[in-house]
Amino acid sequence: LSRHPPGKGPSLSILADSREISCGAEVISSLRAVHGLRVQVCSLGSSDYIVSTRLAVERTFQSELQGPGNRNRLSQRLQRLQGLFQRVCVILETDRARPGETSRLFQRTQYYDGVLSALVQAGIRILFSSCQEETAVLLKDLALLEHRKGAAIGVPTELEGPRQDLLGFYLSIPTLSYVGALQLCHCFGCPRDLANSSPSAVAAAARLSRDGAEEIQRYLRHSFDPQLLP
Amino acid sequence: PVTAGSVVVPYGHVIGNEKWRGSEVAQKLQGKVRLIFEDGLGLVDFHLSNRTCILYISEADLVAGDEFKRRLVRFRNASNLRGLVIVEKTQISDQYFSAVQKLVVLELGMVLLPVANQGEAAQLIVQLVSVCVREQSRDQGSNPFLHKQRPRLAEPALLQTAQHIPGVGKTKALLLLQHFGSIHRLCNASISELEKVVGQTAARQIHTF
Repeated sequence: LSRHPPGKGPSLSILADSREISCGAEVISSLRAVHGLRVQVCSLGSSDYIVSTRLAVERTFQSELQGPGNRNRLSQRLQRLQGLFQRVCVILETDRARPGETSRLFQRTQYYDGVLSALVQAGIRILFSSCQEETAVLLKDLALLEHRKGAAIGVPTELEGPRQDLLGFYLSIPTLSYVGALQLCHCFGCPRDLANSSPSAVAAAARLSRDGAEEIQRYLRHSFDPQLLP
Repeated sequence: PVTAGSVVVPYGHVIGNEKWRGSEVAQKLQGKVRLIFEDGLGLVDFHLSNRTCILYISEADLVAGDEFKRRLVRFRNASNLRGLVIVEKTQISDQYFSAVQKLVVLELGMVLLPVANQGEAAQLIVQLVSVCVREQSRDQGSNPFLHKQRPRLAEPALLQTAQHIPGVGKTKALLLLQHFGSIHRLCNASISELEKVVGQTAARQIHTF
């Protein structure tokens, strides 16, 4: 974990999914310019933001929870995140009024309350935001909190040259998150080192749970049966 | 008197603090859930199940000052129940919302759900109760956000993983996995073992990686 120099705030890293460049540009620029965070934009695929070694954040609009239209997309994404991360958070952002529209009244549907209740029961944290700038504040607060708990992203988030091949290799391990793969890149310079390490060594180095590390080792040792290919 | 301990809630019922008798929330809950009033619930406004309860913060509480914060902290320290905080977020109380959210969610680690008025609160409580009932009846499959452990085949993923080795495409990946059986054994293969499966150049590339 990188220790920040005394007197200065910690320089925290956040990973943002590349889709957020188009739909959350103000979130990203506000994180960088106002809050001084390092935001690495990369192709996360799974979630919109990764705030620490164990916390993923999904940014969603209130309107998406209004009716069953987006139910599958959201539930599939969150189910997947629940498998990859110890903690999952949803930031529920108020929809922006379109130009020419006087503030649309938010009609609270029964469906919306049902979704909120299901999220609560699934142990997913919910935060409410009124705009992109506020979402950036919440992401910063989450990153600070995780830093205090010793879970901050402590490795460089930018990789060059052959390290990118290595990252791609680690990312293809199904149970591993993007930040988990990044951590592995920094601890295990080649797949051989990873394959020959004990689960406890992997867990300690890559800041994974013991179960998560065992799952990786099981995957690497899985005996391949070509009959089972689709 | 700090009372934050558990209460036995009959299946499908809600136990409400006596002070809510006759309120709009209580009226709107009538007929949708079975509501029982009890004295001496202390800090808690509603018990939804044996382990889930609601603390309600009204617009007036927010405007009045910090008393509600002390109440939340006392609850958090005294109870291991899952506390859901429902807060009235109105035009007047909106300015307090982000500070309340920071305290409740980030500092106390509790759940915060904003509503515009008591009518919305009643509708939300009805949904929360139905989730609690499903939870008690162990009908977990009905929650679309809970992670389901589906046993997935590792084979397609392994083929993908092998293709991330420089110089290895689909054909070589398949050959290598068939020959060595696992990624672990592939990683520990010597150059001469690799050369028997793929060409010299590829074997060296794989070994270096």
